[in-house]
Amino acid sequence: MDLTFSAAEEAFRADLRSWLAGSVPAAWREPGFWAGVPDGEGFELRREWERRKFDAGFAGIDWPTEYGGRGGTPGMKAIYDEELALARAPGTVNPLGLAFLAPTIMAIGTDEQKREIIRPLLRCDVIWCQGFSEPDAGSDLAALRTSGVADGDDIVVNGQKVWTTNAGHGDRIFTMVRTEPGSQRHRGLSMLLLDMHQDGVEVRPLRQMSGATEFGEVFFTDARVPARECLGGLGNGWSTAMLLLSFERGASGISQYTAFRKSYDEIVRAARALGRDTDPVLRQELGRRMVELECLRYHAMHVLTQVERGADLGAESSMTKLQWSETYQDLFETFDDLLGADAAVSTPVAGLDISALQSEGFWTRSVTIWGGSSQVQRNIVAERVLGLPR
Amino acid sequence: MFFALTDEQRALGETVRAFLSGRFDLTAVRAVFEDTAGDGHPLELWKSVGEQGWLAVCVPEEFDGLGLGLLDAQVVARELGAGAVPGPWLPTVLAGEAVRLAGSDAQRAELLPRLADGDLVATVALRGAGGAWDASGVAVTARPAPGTVTGIAAGSNGFGSEGAGGSDEPSGSGVFGGSGGLVGELSGTASPVEYLGVANLVVVAAIEPGPAGAAPGAGEVGLYLLDPGAAGVAVRPLVGPDGTTRLATLELAGARARRLPGSSAAALADLIRRGALLTAADQAGVAREALTRTVHYDRERIQFGRPVGSFQALKHQLADLHVAVTMAEHAVMYAAHALDAGLDDLELAVAVAKAKASQAARDATAAMIQYHGGIGYTWEHEAHLFYKRARRMYGAFGDPPAHLERVAALTVDSLT
Repeated sequence: MDLTFSAAEEAFRADLRSWLAGSVPAAWREPGFWAGVPDGEGFELRREWERRKFDAGFAGIDWPTEYGGRGGTPGMKAIYDEELALARAPGTVNPLGLAFLAPTIMAIGTDEQKREIIRPLLRCDVIWCQGFSEPDAGSDLAALRTSGVADGDDIVVNGQKVWTTNAGHGDRIFTMVRTEPGSQRHRGLSMLLLDMHQDGVEVRPLRQMSGATEFGEVFFTDARVPARECLGGLGNGWSTAMLLLSFERGASGISQYTAFRKSYDEIVRAARALGRDTDPVLRQELGRRMVELECLRYHAMHVLTQVERGADLGAESSMTKLQWSETYQDLFETFDDLLGADAAVSTPVAGLDISALQSEGFWTRSVTIWGGSSQVQRNIVAERVLGLPR
Repeated sequence: MFFALTDEQRALGETVRAFLSGRFDLTAVRAVFEDTAGDGHPLELWKSVGEQGWLAVCVPEEFDGLGLGLLDAQVVARELGAGAVPGPWLPTVLAGEAVRLAGSDAQRAELLPRLADGDLVATVALRGAGGAWDASGVAVTARPAPGTVTGIAAGSNGFGSEGAGGSDEPSGSGVFGGSGGLVGELSGTASPVEYLGVANLVVVAAIEPGPAGAAPGAGEVGLYLLDPGAAGVAVRPLVGPDGTTRLATLELAGARARRLPGSSAAALADLIRRGALLTAADQAGVAREALTRTVHYDRERIQFGRPVGSFQALKHQLADLHVAVTMAEHAVMYAAHALDAGLDDLELAVAVAKAKASQAARDATAAMIQYHGGIGYTWEHEAHLFYKRARRMYGAFGDPPAHLERVAALTVDSLT
């Protein structure tokens, strides 16, 4: 065991930390700050900040320099994620593009796609949405019906996507479309890279139970996309999608621990303000949550080790998703437990503003659904890790 | 970053596993389990364990050991758990840790080589029945033995510090620890103590009198090397459901034992942490084995015309167990490393590991019974061997509620 980072990695941490100290305004670090900023305004603030971060050389940490990345190690990427969480830096405005699209393009994109897509994506000049889920194709992605029909050099797209993160801010969407009429299930699908700024694309915001509108519905009515703007080749959409989803790495687990640990500490402060921190039953609950949080931290180090060795995480990433999402959600059940009857109000309790924790608690209801629900993840673990029959 | 076992550590685990499957499989385990009148200590197995060096893992090379650490020891412990193996490996290794960490040079030189090769069977007696796993749970008291000059003269509480001079304890008294150590007279009880019936050496925790005029209970904690054959020692065998060990109560009435000079309340806490870690490792092995056996069975068992393992009611439970057992394995590895490297969060790490592994082992072995159906509830099936071992270890060196309270104390009370 060696749980240290290399000297180069620690030097990178020091540089980044120093840059973050000077670039993240104190007000942004207050819990609940972003909840108080109007959605569009907050998005532009974050986008501008992210551009400055790119210009300072702190973007695409483990991407090749030819695409505007830093050419760093997986360890540096883990440090980057952790330091941003520690600094309470704003979350990226281009999460789907950064996490999924860019690595997929680097792996199987055409030279033209690599050249034209990756750098603007990294600089947040182009915001990418993901168009996978449909009203009748959620966990069962292969049931999707959005159609694409060739018309000259273009493909004409009709249908509807839903739960599209950043739909209201998106410039382009990588979307799964059935391009072979009459095809079934996994066959005849293509991943198209479609411009959202056209008449055939309509976006309607969806309000979440937390009150925010981070995602929406996207309607395609004779929307057009050039056939060459297809990732992985026409008809190969399913394997492209599987490759893309495999980039959901657990390497960010250390930063998740950091972020969730901050939430844990906030919850402990709330318990203290309410005089509940000495309650033996609640202490057992808090202890249980911390056990799972610590396990997440150890697991994240295990995953990072695998990534550094170039191992294919495969179905193991389902275990990572289960551990972090269930732990995060359970943490806020403990928060509800300690609030007791005070959970009924959103106004300050015992001099403590709990509204930020309350909306974070609502948010945690979503984390066991998106990115593959816990039920789907358990099927994957059972079938592909344990080898239980379908 | 390297959070993983090395090739050597993995090879050690594979060696233990291969040895057990060839030389001490569940049929052999069952024979010991069912021989309730026996001492639970198969000598051929012990001899092999000693020859293979599995008792020598934590012993420094200068004392004929392998000079490795708890990260390596937990590899062995996991395999012994996976095999539900009987025998005093864990208490002997733990007694060795007490000698290594708190013993004098003379005590180390005398005892560690004999512990490393299996010549001595040792155990630890650290708490009284019903007590907590810390100094407050110790139900043995020590006082300076009359006639040991240094014992009386050395310090304000009568014990003084190491190196205060030679003892006049007559040779051949059966007291371990060579010359130069202080001798105490121990009275009280400790229970349950593993493999007391076959041990040649017992590390006993005892409360020592505080300085003159101090409040009751202000005394130090001493760790003593006891010969269970000494005068004033009684061993009362206990009956328990887990036949993969043997338990007894240790009763002491003025028994003479030599003190480990590095003794303190902190040394006791450290020893208990090491015991908790090795127990958690055994439990992680039990849990993984129970899960693996259950998955294999449920792949093949046909009901309603299909393998029962194809039903999501089972699949999802088994998937959750796989996650839990994996997390327990990670937690055990981290805690072992934290102890080896003296990391700042070692106390938290051990509490996390013991709480998680205890729960995972109980859940996985309970699931093993449930997901085998009726056959899993029979005496003939192996499920109860694992289940009973997991249940016994659940409370050893602190149960999950105690460790969760420790976690809360470390993360709630300390928050600024």
